[in-house]
This record gives sequence, C-alpha cells and structure tokens, in this order.
Amino acid sequence: MRRGLAATLMALTLLVAAPVTAPGAALTVRDMLGREVTLPRPPQRIVSLVPSVTEIIFALGAEARLVGRTDFCDYPAAALGKPSVGGMVNPNLETLVTLRPDLVFATDEGNREDTVRQLTRLGIAVYLVHANRIAETVDLIARVGALSERPADVARVSGEMLRRIDAVRKAVAPFPRRRVLYVLWPDPLIVPGRESMLTELIEVAGGVSITANDAEAYPRFSLETAVARAPEVIILADHSTGTSTAGRAAPEKWKRLTSVPAIQAGRLHSADLSILHRYGPRVPEGIETLARFIHPEAFP
Amino acid sequence: MSAARRLTLALGILTAVLLAVTAVALFVGSAGLSPRAVARALAGQAGAESVESIVTLQLRLPRVVAAVLAGGALAVAGVAFQGLTRNPLAEPAVLGVSSGAAFGVVLAQILGLQLTFLQALGVATFAFAGALMAAAAVYLIAVVPGGLSIQTLLLAGVIVGIFFTSAITVLISVMDYNRLGGIIYWLLGNLAPIPAGSLALFAVLALGGCWLILRHARELNLLALGEEAAVQLGVDAVRLKRRVFVAAALLTGSVVAFTGPIGFVGLVVPHLLRGILGQDNRLLVPTALVGGGIFLLAADTLARNIVAPAELSVGVITSFCGAPFFVYLLRTRYRASL
Amino acid sequence: MASLVEFAGVGFGYPRPERSREGGFSVTDVSFAIEPGEIFGVIGPNSAGKTTLLRLLTRVVAAERGEIRLAGRPIAPMAHAELARQVAVVPQDSPRPFPFTVEQLVLMGRYPHGPGRFFENDEDRALARAAMAATSVLDLAGLPLEQLSGGERQRAMLARALAQQPRLLVLDEPTSHLDLRYQLQTAELLRRVNAEQGTTVLLVSHDLDLAAEVCDRLLLLDGGRVACVGTPATVLEQSVLEPVFRCPVAVDRNPASGRPLVRVAWPSQPGAARGR
Repeated sequence: MRRGLAATLMALTLLVAAPVTAPGAALTVRDMLGREVTLPRPPQRIVSLVPSVTEIIFALGAEARLVGRTDFCDYPAAALGKPSVGGMVNPNLETLVTLRPDLVFATDEGNREDTVRQLTRLGIAVYLVHANRIAETVDLIARVGALSERPADVARVSGEMLRRIDAVRKAVAPFPRRRVLYVLWPDPLIVPGRESMLTELIEVAGGVSITANDAEAYPRFSLETAVARAPEVIILADHSTGTSTAGRAAPEKWKRLTSVPAIQAGRLHSADLSILHRYGPRVPEGIETLARFIHPEAFP
Repeated sequence: MSAARRLTLALGILTAVLLAVTAVALFVGSAGLSPRAVARALAGQAGAESVESIVTLQLRLPRVVAAVLAGGALAVAGVAFQGLTRNPLAEPAVLGVSSGAAFGVVLAQILGLQLTFLQALGVATFAFAGALMAAAAVYLIAVVPGGLSIQTLLLAGVIVGIFFTSAITVLISVMDYNRLGGIIYWLLGNLAPIPAGSLALFAVLALGGCWLILRHARELNLLALGEEAAVQLGVDAVRLKRRVFVAAALLTGSVVAFTGPIGFVGLVVPHLLRGILGQDNRLLVPTALVGGGIFLLAADTLARNIVAPAELSVGVITSFCGAPFFVYLLRTRYRASL
Repeated sequence: MASLVEFAGVGFGYPRPERSREGGFSVTDVSFAIEPGEIFGVIGPNSAGKTTLLRLLTRVVAAERGEIRLAGRPIAPMAHAELARQVAVVPQDSPRPFPFTVEQLVLMGRYPHGPGRFFENDEDRALARAAMAATSVLDLAGLPLEQLSGGERQRAMLARALAQQPRLLVLDEPTSHLDLRYQLQTAELLRRVNAEQGTTVLLVSHDLDLAAEVCDRLLLLDGGRVACVGTPATVLEQSVLEPVFRCPVAVDRNPASGRPLVRVAWPSQPGAARGR
C-alpha cells in the first residue's frame, strides 16, 4: 500500500514540478517555497548552496551540470572536485558570479535571505528548497530531477529509497514502539521537535521520540523532563571530529541516570549521525542506523 | 601653519590615499579578474552581462562605496562621542550605541522591512531609534552632578551593549529560529553590495550626519573647557550636546542599518589622527571622514581576500585591530580618569 | 556715569530644598553696583554665595527674583554670546583633561566675537597673541596646557579672558592654588590690565589680603545676603568682619600701602611662652 502511495506521490510531483514541454524550451516553475522561478531553458550550470541538493544531484547522475558547491557539500567524495563558493551563510558572491550559474539552489534553513536577495538582484535565478519530511525529500528529488532533465533517474533513486524505507518498516513492525530520546546536542540539551525530520525518521525506525510534540524544529530541553519521560532508548549524536572534542557525546554523563529504562537496559548509543540531517538519497541509511539502535532484535 | 592650511594639506594627502586604496579594492578580489578587465568594466566598455561588469560594477563598486561611507560615518561618530564625553575611549560600539541600533534593525526585519528604498528608510529609522535609546540609557546611567563619570560611562556602555545583543538573540530565537545563524553572522559586521537606491540614501544620511557635526566642531572644542565655561563663552551647551548626540546616533544608526554593527573604527581612526593633527575637532571631523573610509575599506579588502575564496567578516578585522588598541589606550594615556 | 553692573534685589536658590534650608547656596535680596573702571572684590566665608553671584552674573543660572543689569541693560533676555562679548570669566581651576595648546586655549576666547566663523581670522590671532604677551605666556604658546605649572596655567587662562576683550573681567579665586610669588604676579597683572585698558575687574576671593590690597571697593556676603559694601577700610573692620566670619579677628594697617591687614586672632597657647 505504501509503495503505491509513493508512486502516486512521485507522479504528482513530477507533473507539478516540471512542465517541460520540449527539451531546451523556456520554463517557469514554482520552487518549494512557492516562488516563481523563470529560466530561459533547463539549467546547464547549477550552483548548489545546499549539501543535500548536492548529494541528490550526484545521485541522479546530473553532476555534469553542477559547477559550484559549498564547503559543507562533502558527499559524495566526488563533490569535493567541484569548485566551492565558501560557506552556506556567507558564500563568496564574486566566486559565485564567476562560475556563471543559470540556477542556484538555496534553502531557507541554512542560507541567508540576504544572499538570495543579492543573487536575485544580480539576475541569477534562485530555487529555494525546504524538506522536513520524507515525503518532501521525495518531492525534492523529483524537482531536482525534473530541472536537470533526468526523470528516469528520479524513478530509480526514489524507488530505491522508498524500498529500503519500506523494508525497515516491515522489519520493526512486529515490535512494540520504544520511547526514544534523541540528543542532538548534549550541553545545552537540544532535541528534535515537531518540525524536525528526525521525529519522523525515529517513527519509521520503530520508535517514538519523547520530544515529538515539542514546538519548533530543535528546541532546548530540560534534562529533568527528559528523565521524567523515561525513554527506553537514548541516542547521542556525536559531533566531535578527530581533533576537536566540542560536541562530544559524553555517554558517561548519561550512564549515571540509573532510573531511566534506557540506561537500565543498556540501550545508550552514540554515533556520528550527521547523515540524519541530510534530506537526500541517504535518508534510508540513517533510518537503518536508527532502527538498529532502537530494535536491535529486528536485525540479527 | 594656520589651522585652515593644515586641514587642506591633511585632506589632500588623505584623499590621495583613499583613491589609492579604492583602486586596490576594485582591482583585487576572488573573481581573479585582470586589471584590464576591471578597467574596461569601469569605463563602461565591457558588456553589461559580462562577468567583469557584474563583478566590478555590481559587486565591488557598491561595496567599496559602502565601506568608505560606513568607515567615515563611524569615525566621525567616534570624534563626536569623544568630544561630548571628553574621553577618547568613547565610540559607538564601546558605548553600546551600535548594539542599540542593531536591535532596531533586527526588530525592523522581523516586522518585514527589507532594503528596497522606502523600506530602507524604515530600517534606518528603527536603527536610529535604537541608537538613541542605547545612547540615552548609557548617558542616564553615567551622569552624575557635574558631568559624566568616565568609568561608569564605559561600564554602562558595555552593559547596554550586552543587553541589546542579548535582546536580539532572544527576539530571533523566539520569532524566527531559522534566521539565527544569519543574524549572528550579521552581528559580526559585514559589508556587502547594497542596491543603488539604498546606497544613495545611506550616502545622504551619512554625509548629512557628518555635516551636522562639522558645523558644531568649533563649539565642540569649547566644550573641553567645561560646560559652565563654554556657556560663559557664549556656547548654548545644552543645545550643542543634544544636536551632536543626535547626529552621532544618526550616523551610527545608518551604518548599522546598511552594513551591520562594525566596531572600533570610531576609536582607532580619531586617535591616530589626533596624534598627527592635535585635538582640534575642526580638523578631526573632516579628516576622520576620509580617514575612516580608508581604514574600513582597507580592512574590508583584507577581509575579502586574505583567505579567499572564503571571506572574513570585516568586523573581525576591526576588532582584532581595535581591541588591543583600546587596551593600549587604557593603560598608557588614560589611567587617571575623571 | 552709569554703573557697569547693577544687582537689584536679586534672589536665587538652587533646586535642592535641603540646601536652601541650611541657607547654604541661595542668594537673597542682593543689591549692589560696580562702577566702570574699578576693581571690585566679593568676599565672605565659604558658602556665602560668592560663586553663585558669578553664575548669576554670567547667566549660567537665572535669577529668580530681582534684576541684573549690564551697562544699563537687563541681562536676562541677552543671548549668551552677547553677554560673553562683554564679560569674561577666569575660573578657579583650569579644565581637566585639556589636551589643547596654550594658543588654542587663548583663541577660544575669541569665539563670542565671531561665533559664525569656522576658523579664527587674522585679527583673532593677533589679539590672542597680544593677550598672551600681556600675561607673559607667549613663549609657551605651542605647549599643551597640561604641561604647564600652576602659575603658568593661571596666566594662560587669564590670557584667554583678555582675548575676549571684555568690559568686565571676572576672576573666581584667582590666587587660591598659587605660590606667593604668583599671587603677587597676579595682583600686579590685574592692576596693570585695569590701569592700561580700563577694564573693570570683579574679583571673588577668600584671600582677604589680596582683596584689601587690590580692590577699590568690596562686597561682603554672608549667607547669601549683602553684609556690607564699601571701600576696604569700611568693610575690613573688626566689627563688620567678626559677626560674618564668626571668629575673632584683628585688623592692622599695612604700613606700605595704608590698606587694612586682617589677621585671625589666634588663641594663645596655654602654658607656653613662645617669645611673642
């Protein structure tokens, strides 16, 4: 049933996102924030200011059209071969202009409004994206695929994605949902709320986030409340790199909370989970990781 | 040499330096344009859509103009605050006035105002109001019978600055979480190309504010005698203080509205000029206008190119220069205060 | 000849209820006149209102009762600049901090005569130099004021007042921080300025010797009221001074000038015969 729904979703978004009548013709589309974007022809020189979109472009095989990325676009490794225009918050406009893009992908969560305005003023088309749900991610893949004229790859990538997600759902379905506390940042304690995709991913992986109903995307949370809600699984996102220890998960701090079911059952996990913040073809990988933490018994 | 002649000489030299720095700023950048390409673009001979035109005329040139205006305005505001408080450590950032203006700008943005011409006027008004509020708060905290206590003034400036910066963070976190990263970046102080209409407005506000202060430069000198003595010489001290205060707040507000809060320009530039030209505000104000422009333009050109293609915030460069400078001033010349 | 300055029934109180209850800083029903060309002294104990009188005269504060007239015209409606063209004040202390040079300081005195001028003109500069020469600070012209000694600073401040070319020169405690030598210098300078240029001088001082020697007439203030006005011989009288200063005094005569010489009558030391 889910597969059918996904296919319908894809078809719909293809129809909505890409009224391409003939290859090479002018097109007007609406981006994911409802803005109208007009291009003389399908984009040939794309700059992506969004790491997730960069991933999607490579997954679709459209990287030939990608002429620029940000420093944070680090996956796949081949992306590092593309020229970078700087950070997400402060891309270098001069470098960007020199790349002569005909379309720039940007997001309202990570890029600055001012950058979008500057680019528009310079006559460069900007396509804004926004994805907080799996469905929106599928939509995004379809849109990028339509713009880069690779509809067949859309079907392949999305299909694979949805298949894997479905497989995880099936694997965890027999088991009762576990209450999950996901610690995005340890100190101050930041957790995923209602608006975050993590909440949905946890749900797909067979858990229920104890912070699922809290407002905003990434609210600050009180440790007391977290303990009081008695999570059965605690997942710590570890942000430390090789040299820096900032944002280290610090599991030993949590092991002292012996009243919490997760600690009693030994279900405290920490890992580098930056993959969960990309809304692209690696979403299933993230879900699989979560599912293994939440329901290890489902994956012998 | 009479004061007038010294002023002319100083302005001549500074203008020449400004032109040189402007040339460097226009010819150097991450786009890697050849000097000939830039020259062609400046002369209007390159195509309007060509890379060199876009980069030179739409990115670099407006940014250069913004840097010169902002630097000049901040330096003159510094001279004004120093004349008013009779203390060379006073300047818009130290006194918390920049933060007040920044709060005004953030509030305006939350309310939906951007940088199209009319809205830019609105943003500038909010910034001006914020600057006035902060300056008034600092003054009221620090005023004692007989004048301004300098230690209290500086402390009050720090506190008011922190207050408004925190208020900004709270406002953003509550209203629009996604903007937080962008706002924190903006608070560092960055120069970016500004559209022509808004740039013209910025120029009017900045030069207007400088003119208001220049008109009263001679009376500002007399204020150094003490308010009572100045009155006895015929200066309307109350009106003078009010006008200069408002003009300095206007200058700070417009800089913050168009380029974000940039600190320490109003500290470093007037002090360097005082070392060469002496204390006379009639010389300091016009030379600070040009000198401030040179300083900020140089800092911004450095910020743009030193780790290209990444960019440093110009506020970082001015702080790195300014903070040690401040400490040096504090320890060597101004240990004994009021 | 009309008086240069007239105080007619002037009353004023600082807006601090406690202070006026103490009778400290207010001025009540003060009437006197200063004649052109004379050296007029205002004396009295601390908090008698001497400085307040100065402030009233230069309109730093406004009289609440009565009227003050300068050359026959009331000063209340006068613009500050107009007043400044006629009255110049040498304050008790030089301003601190004051990073300007002596010449820049003296040039500031030219402001009332050309407030619209951005830079001073040649006439301003010439008058400033003349004023500096008159007070012997011309060779210090290029030095920052802060580098001068107390006496030199006082002379520089006086030069600034002279550069204002006033009809009335007002000095607030001109000798309070000075060594004896500079006190003498100041007195001679005042006499010379008064004699050579006919400038009327108003002197506020708690130094009774200076007042006695230099002034033509004196005003004795007590608790904001006029206690006595007249020549030094009239005012510096034991019966007049003792109730005001509330301590025993003895008034001798200076053998050289014939002016009164006021001494505090020190109590004799109990049980010590120290050759006096």
